[in-house]
Amino acid sequence: MSSLKALLATIGKMFAADLWLTLIALATVAICAIGLRAHIFSPVRVPFILAAGVALALVVGVVRGARR
Amino acid sequence: MIGLATAAPVVGAAFIASTVEVVEAFTIVLAVSVVRGPRPAVLGAIAALAVLTAVVLIFGPLLGAVPVHGLQLAIGALLLVFGLGWLRKAVLRAGGALALHDETAAFAKETQSLRQERGRDGGRTADWLGGVTAFQAVLLEGTEVVFIVLAVGARPGLLAPAALGAAAACILVLAAGMILRAPLSKIPENSLKFVVGGLLTGFGVFWCCEGLGAPWPGGDLAIVGLVAFYLAAGLGLAALVRGRLARAAR
Repeated sequence: MSSLKALLATIGKMFAADLWLTLIALATVAICAIGLRAHIFSPVRVPFILAAGVALALVVGVVRGARR
Repeated sequence: MIGLATAAPVVGAAFIASTVEVVEAFTIVLAVSVVRGPRPAVLGAIAALAVLTAVVLIFGPLLGAVPVHGLQLAIGALLLVFGLGWLRKAVLRAGGALALHDETAAFAKETQSLRQERGRDGGRTADWLGGVTAFQAVLLEGTEVVFIVLAVGARPGLLAPAALGAAAACILVLAAGMILRAPLSKIPENSLKFVVGGLLTGFGVFWCCEGLGAPWPGGDLAIVGLVAFYLAAGLGLAALVRGRLARAAR
């Protein structure tokens, strides 16, 4: 039972080390998907928008981590 | 046919990430072996490896049944979040905002905890406890290895190179551990974590774009550019954090 609990905690930590970092990264993916479907973003621009959003998520995660 | 530009980052990512995780698991298995003898350590590690093998055998073929674009998007998003987590932690450690992981300290802590348990119950269940400790360490660190192998290999023909990278890391760490019979504290764990964070983040962005149907110009070669971009961003951020902490200390 303790192994299972530890395993679940590890899986949780794998994907949610910092909530804002996770949220911004996933929100960027969602925005790109919606923008692409709605023809707001062209397929040529989406890779760069996604890469920039992910870089922003990293900056936010590091800034928040350094403040603690 | 899988090109070198595609296979090399996959093998590299699986190898480096697995090295970090296997070193951490090895430290605890070694601690169990030192305190309780090799039997519970080896049995616990083998039991965990059996569970992990079963997970791969069950989920590996299932991945093949999922539509490629959906799988790339899902795996890409998970890889992105996982890789960013590693990169963030490595940046904070490189910048001095977080303490570096110390295998020697982890080994000392684990052996002390196991010795206390032995003293408390007279050694009756200590072997069992040692086995469970080794099992848990290999299972937890191995889960991350399995995820990385399945994630970076989530494209037809790439699972074998990813598994090869992970297997090479396991063999190398175990061989080094058997020769040294001590925690592998000389391995620059944070530097490896930094590189893996950049690799996984680059792969995550690449897979997401493929899954969304908006591929990168340059095809697979874009992975190299993406990894370089996130590593450079990480290095820049680490320098900023270091400078900020130095200013605060003055």
